[in-house]
Amino acid sequence: MSTDLSSGADVKSDPSQPTVWHRSARYLATHPHLVLIGVLIFLILMTGAVESNYLSINGLRNSALFAVPIGVLAAGQTILMLTGGIDLSAAMIATGAAYVAANQSPKGAAFAIIAGLAVGVLAGAANGIGVGVFQVNPLIMTLAMAGILLGLFTSWAQTIFSGSTRMGDFIRTLGGGSFFGRSIPWAVVVWAVLSIFVIYMLRRSGFGRNLYAIGDNGIAARLSGMRAWQVLIVVYIIAGVFGAIAGLLLGGRVGAVDLQLAGAFLLPSVAAAVIGGTSIFGGVGTYTGTILGALILGVLQSLLTFLGAGQAIQQMLYGAIIIGLSWLYTRISATQ
Amino acid sequence: MTATTPDALATGTQAAWRRWLRRHGWTFGVWILLVVLVAYYSTLIPAFGSFQLASIINNGAPLVFLAAAQAVIVIAGGIDLGVGGMMVLTNVTAARFMEGQPLATTLVIGVIILLLAAAINAGVGWIITTSKVPDIVITLGSLYFFQGLALAVLPNPGGGTSEGFRWLFTGSPRGIGSNPYPAAILISVVILIVAWWIGKTRSGLSLYAVGSDKTAAYLSGIRAARVKIVSYAVGGALAAMAGLALTAIAGRGNPTAVGGNATLNSVAAIVLGGVALTGGIGSVIAVVPAGLILFFLNPILTAMGVDPNRAQIVQGVLIVVVMMVTGLIEWRRRRRV
Repeated sequence: MSTDLSSGADVKSDPSQPTVWHRSARYLATHPHLVLIGVLIFLILMTGAVESNYLSINGLRNSALFAVPIGVLAAGQTILMLTGGIDLSAAMIATGAAYVAANQSPKGAAFAIIAGLAVGVLAGAANGIGVGVFQVNPLIMTLAMAGILLGLFTSWAQTIFSGSTRMGDFIRTLGGGSFFGRSIPWAVVVWAVLSIFVIYMLRRSGFGRNLYAIGDNGIAARLSGMRAWQVLIVVYIIAGVFGAIAGLLLGGRVGAVDLQLAGAFLLPSVAAAVIGGTSIFGGVGTYTGTILGALILGVLQSLLTFLGAGQAIQQMLYGAIIIGLSWLYTRISATQ
Repeated sequence: MTATTPDALATGTQAAWRRWLRRHGWTFGVWILLVVLVAYYSTLIPAFGSFQLASIINNGAPLVFLAAAQAVIVIAGGIDLGVGGMMVLTNVTAARFMEGQPLATTLVIGVIILLLAAAINAGVGWIITTSKVPDIVITLGSLYFFQGLALAVLPNPGGGTSEGFRWLFTGSPRGIGSNPYPAAILISVVILIVAWWIGKTRSGLSLYAVGSDKTAAYLSGIRAARVKIVSYAVGGALAAMAGLALTAIAGRGNPTAVGGNATLNSVAAIVLGGVALTGGIGSVIAVVPAGLILFFLNPILTAMGVDPNRAQIVQGVLIVVVMMVTGLIEWRRRRRV
């Protein structure tokens, strides 16, 4: 197979005797997550080198807090990408859910959270019906949904949801608070629980296998008796709920909600899934990879902040890293 | 799609008419829709004249160019999320270097920017074909990159351009006026050249071949990778046209504009224009009215007394409905054949 990863002539000398390079390349090809872990550790150490205070619970905590909304949104993107879909309305769902929850906060935390999650369920169901039943291209369906939601919430902000935009105390604790002496944020706990759920769903449940099957070959899935449209509706609803959870956590951290709340997290959520090795065409990917992708983006954010890099450098680096990591990942898994 | 049984039985002119309608029906329909909308708009407002017409064409031009850029790339089987970023980048680059220059210099700068944009986006295409990473991923990266580069070129909104340059795109040295002809002519010339290239020349037609079946195109002797790079280069140049148009309209550059939104609008416009996101199907000419319609919906709905936020909802619903109708037509066609 290809020896792209190796350098030097020693590789070609004797094919029957695999060199260290060879073996490690093959090992990495079967365990591509190790590369991501390597990149993550490298970035953490580099950030530590720039700002020595970073290598403490407090420093890492900041990166984790930044990674949480990306990771939760990216959970939705991952399960949708597995079916060959994508959710460009995820950030708007998050914003809408946070807005509703903040508005309903005076009625009690439980009611506010349920109202927020309902936004995710409804918008996700609409997406799922469009994609699953009417076969609208997911890119277009969710893009249009983002526009529709923005319009709805902008006009509702002046009518039925006018009033307070301050999150209730419980959600604020959930989004921004920590326990064990301000060391472990609650938001990370929420993300961890959600991660266990997603990983279990994808690896152990029949529903998870259905997602891979639809993304791998939708026609074959349908011919083998699967009702793909039902699976699609459910998966879009789940993704909508994840979007809503991300919105609640983000809104809780920020405190007051406006309609620009989550917009900046849409493309990073797609990027996290992509960096984590989920194929945008469906059928390939894991949530473990996405978690690593989200953490890499979180640490990167800290690094760029410590470097004092301006917005310009930050965005250029961000773009370069998406291209570089996805290229590297494809290259490594291609050597399999 | 060659003649099916009913076509073969029909008389010559009828068959030709039917074939024309099947081929160009969508393009025709979108143009009709635009004309109907303009006619309807003229009844809504008290005075509809050349000022309104100029405003639609001038301000719709960036979206039209951007949609054409997206169309060329999507027809060749790709998708470029970076076109919006390229538009912002070329907008600020033009505004920064054209400020205070005479017309001739601004024109030279404009041409240089077009060529640079084509070269840079060709590089993006090269990365895609070499790395074999999906287009959407690489161009997500290029979107960020261009947006960052734009901030580096011009950290704050500003810059300028020459009056002649503004006239070229807007028919007025101040960017606002009631002369729709320069913009209309500019759009027509650019789009017709691209339509001629993509529909009549060997290199243009190979975009359709690669977009509909890359392997078949490769096996029939088309260098698929090179075709894809060419599509990205042309798309980059068209996105730069959108950026230059923005510079001329606003008379300045705005690095904080969100390129991602512009990209999403361009995708919506090509879908409305009948370009299949799966590649290989669509016309650049149909994208022009589609882009104008998308831009034009807001003033219409405002004139109808709909609150602008609701207009956003209507726009989204419209796109979904159009997609459902397309899906239905496609499904019926497949059942008939």
